[in-house]
Amino acid sequence: MAIGERALEATELARPSRLARVREWWEQEHVFGYSLIVPALALIVGLVAYPFGMAIYFSLSDYWVGSPGQFIGLRNFWEILGNEIFQQTVYNTFVFALIAVAFKTVLGVWLAMLLFRDFKFKRLIRGAVLLPWVIPTALSVLAWGWMFDSLYSVVNWTAIHLGLINPPGPNWLGLTGYAVTAVIAVNVWRGLPFFAIIVLAGLVSIPREYYEAAEVDGAGSWGRFRHVTLPLLKPVLAVVILFSTIFTFSDFNIVQVLTRGGPVNTTHLFATLAYQIGLTGGNLGQGAAVSLFLFPLLGAFVFLQLRYIRRE
Amino acid sequence: MASWLALGRAPAFAQKRELTFLSWNHFVPASDDELRKQAETFGKQAGVAVRVDTIAHLQLPAKRAAEAQAQSGHDLLFVADADPFLFENQLVDMGDVIDDLGKRYGGWYPFAEEAARTKAGWRGVPWFWVSFPATYNMTHFKKAGLEHPKTWDELLKHGTILKKQGNPVGIAVSHCADANTTFWSVLWCYGGKVLEADGKTPAINSDKTARVIEWYKELYRDAMEPEVLSWDDASNNRCILAGKCSWIHNPISPYNLALTKSMPIADEINHHNSPAGPAGTHSAPPITAIGIWKFSKNGQLAKDFIKFLFQKDNFDSWIVASNAFNHPPLRHFADHPIWAKNPKFAMLPKEAEYAHPRGWPAKPNAAVQLIQVNYILPDMVAKAINGMPTKRAMAWAEDQVKLAVQGKLKEGGAV
Repeated sequence: MAIGERALEATELARPSRLARVREWWEQEHVFGYSLIVPALALIVGLVAYPFGMAIYFSLSDYWVGSPGQFIGLRNFWEILGNEIFQQTVYNTFVFALIAVAFKTVLGVWLAMLLFRDFKFKRLIRGAVLLPWVIPTALSVLAWGWMFDSLYSVVNWTAIHLGLINPPGPNWLGLTGYAVTAVIAVNVWRGLPFFAIIVLAGLVSIPREYYEAAEVDGAGSWGRFRHVTLPLLKPVLAVVILFSTIFTFSDFNIVQVLTRGGPVNTTHLFATLAYQIGLTGGNLGQGAAVSLFLFPLLGAFVFLQLRYIRRE
Repeated sequence: MASWLALGRAPAFAQKRELTFLSWNHFVPASDDELRKQAETFGKQAGVAVRVDTIAHLQLPAKRAAEAQAQSGHDLLFVADADPFLFENQLVDMGDVIDDLGKRYGGWYPFAEEAARTKAGWRGVPWFWVSFPATYNMTHFKKAGLEHPKTWDELLKHGTILKKQGNPVGIAVSHCADANTTFWSVLWCYGGKVLEADGKTPAINSDKTARVIEWYKELYRDAMEPEVLSWDDASNNRCILAGKCSWIHNPISPYNLALTKSMPIADEINHHNSPAGPAGTHSAPPITAIGIWKFSKNGQLAKDFIKFLFQKDNFDSWIVASNAFNHPPLRHFADHPIWAKNPKFAMLPKEAEYAHPRGWPAKPNAAVQLIQVNYILPDMVAKAINGMPTKRAMAWAEDQVKLAVQGKLKEGGAV
């Protein structure tokens, strides 16, 4: 017993000093600071850097599911560049992204200006506007699929009953022009809230005095928008266009659910084609090469955009 | 500490010999329920736990690729199409199981070997196939004074009359599985092929393919509506269930759905064998098999489990659970009364004689898989329908077939 007590005393004496030493070591800036970063770094390395490295490795190899490939250099890239389906996909992606982002920018600023005003149930409606952005895309796009269905299209039914078009109405997902329109429309519908809410935040931060001063100088509503709102929104707009472009270029769900790249590959985007070739087709090497084509494109875009933002 | 861990784990470890099976979510869920029931029975007999994991079939390719990559996962797996060929080096040889079951149950249909036997041997045990007959609306045909079509040419003739009556024919020409399936059937019936039997020489550019494209163009113009260019796999079901389409090429699912939902149209719907062509009758039904990973430590147990599933009474009750959807690859099982007793199903088992895996006379290899998933064949037809000259559409498809064949196949690995 006695020995036990003494032992206890001994440890109690030793404990504070060791704890203090650990704490001292821990509180040094280079230890504490880095250990705070470690979890985030582990996530980025594990979930972004490692898969990205693997993708680059796959794209340079003849890798099929089930059989590891050999290093073949840039052959995958040459092969897909010569493939008509890939060329079509590059064209589609640019048309899709340019039109969709343009619509989202114009409509997004417009929607933000409307939401900025005072009206009844302002908070409720501002929240509700976010819904298309919040609902899982796969689900909402299924609903759109029904709206564009060849047999049960609500869009066509309504338009026919309003006497706007002759039955049976447009073949939404079967003809190139209509299918591209449908896919872009759904993308705009889904991406618009993100745009509007961020621009709205930008609007809120513009000091009222500028508007008052502009009014004193005799500026009309267009003049105020053109010379006050727009210049001050520029940095916010630049960031939101950057994000939106990335999201749009890498879209997958909308096309996969609505058209699976049809009719005749005219709605394929990089992500859907890469999935088709790499995962369902089993040609992982070429699938990775398709998806990596996006990287230098977006990289250049991000670089230019960020440089612009910094200059501002 | 170590002994404590060992004590805590030992009993659990001893009883934990587990056999696992990765399968798809069956279109008829009762079929999976029956499978699980049989797995449990087998588990009790063999003193192991058997786990059946089912996932959506669209997620299967990624899951399988991941397991092959990691060299760990399930013991048994659902395979179809090119899988036995893609995973040739990863799957256990099944020759002994095949011989045993074949002897016992009247032999395998010819398609079984075409679908699951690679150069290296049997890489799967063919499990079931899904009949792909013609589904038609008897009332529409009666109104037009027509019998159901026996050939694709006759379908074109009948379809022209039926479309005028307001009941078009429906064959998808779009990015969906049905579009592929029907194209293979028609192509073979006219004597065409996409690849030579060697699996790497393109054979699509031929008079026979041209004839098939012309047939499609006429069918599209005279007997179908433009909507077929936008269809997914459920669209033709909807079209016949809505009472609009008079004829579709599809599994029996619309009829089964009409029955379960007590839709009056069930009485009007009937089936007949997939139509014939100048080169006979051929069809491309989905064919599935069960494979065993080489990395599995339960190889023999897994084979015993497969044999258990193929015991006559087990297979029979599984057919019943699937509502006649699961067709057997073994001749004796095809005599099941569930087909014979229903006049609308009676002709279904016979479809097995016409069946081939995609790519035939080539094996369903990696190139065939790419041709399938890239929808080269329906897109060739769609291009011609949209006005591209038939020869150019065919040349485009030939280019794509060449691209699919190059690469992996040069090494002779996955032919």
